[in-house]
Amino acid sequence: MSLPEQAPGVRPRPFWSLRPRSDRDAGDAITSNFLLHWFPAKVSKASMSWTYSFWLGTITAALFLLLILSGLPLLFLYVPSVERAYQSVKDIEYVITFGRWIRAVHRVAAHGMVITVVLHLARVYFTGAYKNGIGRNQKREWNWVIGVVMLLLTLFLSFTGYLLPWDQLAFWAVTVGTNIASAIPWIGPDVRELLIGGRAIEQATLIRFYVLHIFFLPAGVGVLFAYHMWRVRKDGGLARADREEIAETSRPVAVVPTKTYTLLGVAKGTAPTVTARSLEAANTSVNAVPDLARRAMIATLGTIAVISIASVFIASPLEEPANALITPNPAKAPWYFLWLQEIVTDTTIHLGNFTINGAFIGGVVLPGLLVGLLTAWPWLDRSPREVTGEWFPRARRTQNIVFIAIMVGILLLTYIGMELRGPYWEFFWPWETWPSVPGRI
Amino acid sequence: MAGNDRRDFLIKLGTGCGVCALGAQGVASLRSLVPNVSYDAPTTVKLGAPAEFPDGLKFLADERLFIFRDGNTFHAVSAVCTHLGCTVRAEALSKPETATVGGAPLRLTHQFSCPCHGSHYTGDGTNVSGPAPKPLSWYRLSVAADDGQLVVDLADEVERDFRLTV
Repeated sequence: MSLPEQAPGVRPRPFWSLRPRSDRDAGDAITSNFLLHWFPAKVSKASMSWTYSFWLGTITAALFLLLILSGLPLLFLYVPSVERAYQSVKDIEYVITFGRWIRAVHRVAAHGMVITVVLHLARVYFTGAYKNGIGRNQKREWNWVIGVVMLLLTLFLSFTGYLLPWDQLAFWAVTVGTNIASAIPWIGPDVRELLIGGRAIEQATLIRFYVLHIFFLPAGVGVLFAYHMWRVRKDGGLARADREEIAETSRPVAVVPTKTYTLLGVAKGTAPTVTARSLEAANTSVNAVPDLARRAMIATLGTIAVISIASVFIASPLEEPANALITPNPAKAPWYFLWLQEIVTDTTIHLGNFTINGAFIGGVVLPGLLVGLLTAWPWLDRSPREVTGEWFPRARRTQNIVFIAIMVGILLLTYIGMELRGPYWEFFWPWETWPSVPGRI
Repeated sequence: MAGNDRRDFLIKLGTGCGVCALGAQGVASLRSLVPNVSYDAPTTVKLGAPAEFPDGLKFLADERLFIFRDGNTFHAVSAVCTHLGCTVRAEALSKPETATVGGAPLRLTHQFSCPCHGSHYTGDGTNVSGPAPKPLSWYRLSVAADDGQLVVDLADEVERDFRLTV
């Protein structure tokens, strides 16, 4: 009995190579390799440029991978109970071999991910990459929305992780953070009670934050990340590829000796010249394997290397055990929320006898407004599609300036919160020394 | 047609039952996260014999409460900042002053500041600067019938004319 004959060229060959010798080999590497199955066959050189995307999305994904990898050993070592959480983190830090390094990798990667997610968002904004270019059925605006949700999940992941060491830093940051939730009118106190599982930050809070931190939030990010990548493929790759397509018109290109041209193409010009749009031209696009695979590897491994080495030198803080009776002075939120802490400090409004708590304006209204605007922006942006995938185009100058202004404002408030706020949240210039604060009476 | 009607009906019935079952299970799972019992500390707390309190101010960390004593009158002011719930700190004034609080004179010996966002309060708990939206709470003090200890009721906020005379 003979095996049924396979249609030639349909079924991928079982072997693949990261160093393909032909286009066929390059295609097989993608169709028969699980890790590469989400790659396109060809990718434009422009969209792989280091200086177009700075590969920030890939770096963020690499950090997420590193967070999962470094989180796994911590799962075995950390005990989510108020009696033992602090001691178990202390053990990780001082007793367990390499524990200090693993915790540092987890912490540095987490802070790094907050930064790269924001930078990635800024890059997509400045290049107008949430706009649809020329492809059919593009829904880039929805991929932007997914991205905004992942930004919020990342911040919440970081915030839930912040509580777990159960030290003073953690306890008071979460006290302030969850009290902001209770400033929401009517439902606020109920939201806070559901979030922390009671009226005070206790065991119920710790286990809630723990389960969110190790399962629900990472699972959410993982699912959305997969969808994010799928949408990038469905939308025809990076917006930069659309830009190439829009900007370029058909022009004569050199004939590729091994390629068969259609009669129509040949008939148009004088043989053997043909005209082609840039994406079809051999000199503007390359096979995803090895070119895209190589750059993705460089970005991923580079990120892992930088974080792993930096973590040897960066110590993770661990303050005194959480004490509900003593508020540290000053008590500061995690750095990425300090701009909000600065705003909730400054936005309490007194109108005669009527007072609006700054926690509501600065903690609920303003962030809600910012996130709402950010989410809806692809539908509000009226710039022409021709500038899709272009850095700082003239047509988008005003909105880019506003975006930069808001970012600079947030950074400034963050800096003030980090460096210029001393005891009792008083303002001090960097050259002023903080007064010694009398201890608790 | 009759057969199709029945088939459609059964498909809808089956789908509807499935959705209801999943929904109920979802609601049950989520409801389990809303606590039925709170293991919070009781709101009525015995604080000790009145004689044990010094003249002026005593901070009770467990209750997050300041007890003021002036001779044989007492009153209790909360140490929980009304902005975002941090514990305020008391600073002694260089010299005590007397103000009219709630229609009655009151000797003010301290002022309060919050370490989280810099709210400041006068000695009677009035918010004077910073983001705090309202004054610190005052709580009802009483004397226990059985052993004469001071008792605070943290669920019972009182007006600022409240004084307990022992």
